[in-house]
Amino acid sequence: MTGDGLVKCVVWDIDNTLLTGIYLESGEAPPGADPAMTAVLAELGSRGILHALASKNPPEAAEHTARVTGWRFAATECGWGSKSGALARIADSLGIAVDALAFVDDDPYERAEVATALPGVLVLAPEEAADAAGWPEFSPPVITAEARRRGEMYAERQRRQAAERSFGGTREEFLESAGTQVRIAAASAADVPRLAELSARTRQFNSAGAGMTQDWFRRMLAAGDRDVVTVRLRDAFGDDGVVGGCVIAREAGDAGGVGDAVGAEGGGDGGEAAAWTVPLLMMSCRAMGRGVIDALLAWLVRQAARSGAGGLRIPCPANSRNVPLRLALAAAGFRAPETGAAYQRDPGTPPPGLPRWVSAPGEPGGSAA
Amino acid sequence: MTRAGQADVAAVTDDLRAFLASATRRDELLHLPPTAPLFGGAVGLDSLTGTLLLREIHRRFGVDVAGEDLNLDSLATLGTLAAFVAQRARPDGPGGPGGPHGPGTPRPPRPQGDGS
Repeated sequence: MTGDGLVKCVVWDIDNTLLTGIYLESGEAPPGADPAMTAVLAELGSRGILHALASKNPPEAAEHTARVTGWRFAATECGWGSKSGALARIADSLGIAVDALAFVDDDPYERAEVATALPGVLVLAPEEAADAAGWPEFSPPVITAEARRRGEMYAERQRRQAAERSFGGTREEFLESAGTQVRIAAASAADVPRLAELSARTRQFNSAGAGMTQDWFRRMLAAGDRDVVTVRLRDAFGDDGVVGGCVIAREAGDAGGVGDAVGAEGGGDGGEAAAWTVPLLMMSCRAMGRGVIDALLAWLVRQAARSGAGGLRIPCPANSRNVPLRLALAAAGFRAPETGAAYQRDPGTPPPGLPRWVSAPGEPGGSAA
Repeated sequence: MTRAGQADVAAVTDDLRAFLASATRRDELLHLPPTAPLFGGAVGLDSLTGTLLLREIHRRFGVDVAGEDLNLDSLATLGTLAAFVAQRARPDGPGGPGGPHGPGTPRPPRPQGDGS
């Protein structure tokens, strides 16, 4: 299982699992949906858990299953290969860890094959899945608007990726043509559940390498010398909501804050101005490759410079999961002077620019709060 | 003298050029000089292309760049990365025909997402 043990996607067999019979042996009238399993699909889906299909059936069986259950599956694998191979490909296509999958199949041989090849997967018989809604593995602590839309967002992501593959230009040109909008803003109390959820679920892009509680975010919001920031993402394919955020720690007494926007230019040349520290910087991996982390880092550098901060420090201890964030930091000009030290930019390098589809406090067209 | 297990820097450089040109869809990167920076400049490596590049290097050469070089200093230029990889490459790499992950065995784990 993953660190928090939560299942993010359930991979379902079709015959005698989601259907009440065997698709290929049913002739003219394929079997209907199993009502108990259909109820589990709906209940887990409402908690932000994805559903996928893995079947040794032709693709028509998957289409039939989607129709009779009324469910839009985030990924489908049909073929004669092993179920463990199908699960690995599903995890890959959804960008989640294999250990965050559960697998439901009526065939004990298939369950044994998956359990042996992928020991981190939670393997269940259909009768066990009927009770799954009560298990902690299927009970995320908070369920946000983003979580409830997660299945739809994966479907939007598939359409976006298909459009990008057929797009002729570079990725930057694709982001522009897709109407990408990144909105950086000061967080409010209403954002706290989603920020806590993001911090718990992010691994590749989480500078602290750990989740934070809602209480922690509330304390940061209430503190006079802390700024809590949200990053929202949308484009023509869909609205991803809050996909990232950060917390900025300023020295007490420093006037500059996120809400102060353009006017905050205090004490930039005194030499004694305190550095800003970013105790948490995070982004959903779903937003990877869409310019979000680059925009957030560039804005942090620009905002710190505008506010006269004596530098910007981002602690990000290296681990095997956060390679993408370390790459993003390096791409934005940050280096850790020695292993384990906070990332900083060479103060001599000019602040980076921001694409015009980014709106942020202090930037042209950005909101002040 | 080349010790067994090392790869030819020029060959690694060509492989990296081909991958970068394909990943960024910019054919001009096939002629990238070894002194060219990978972050910023013509390549403009970011978290996505960088992750794909490191995964490809692991697959082809069996080198875990991010694990062996925590600060990613080896990614300064095309030349520094090629030299780093060539120095540590295993024959055929883990994904090559002679490697432990050749045809018929699963490929090494990719960086995993978090579904957030």
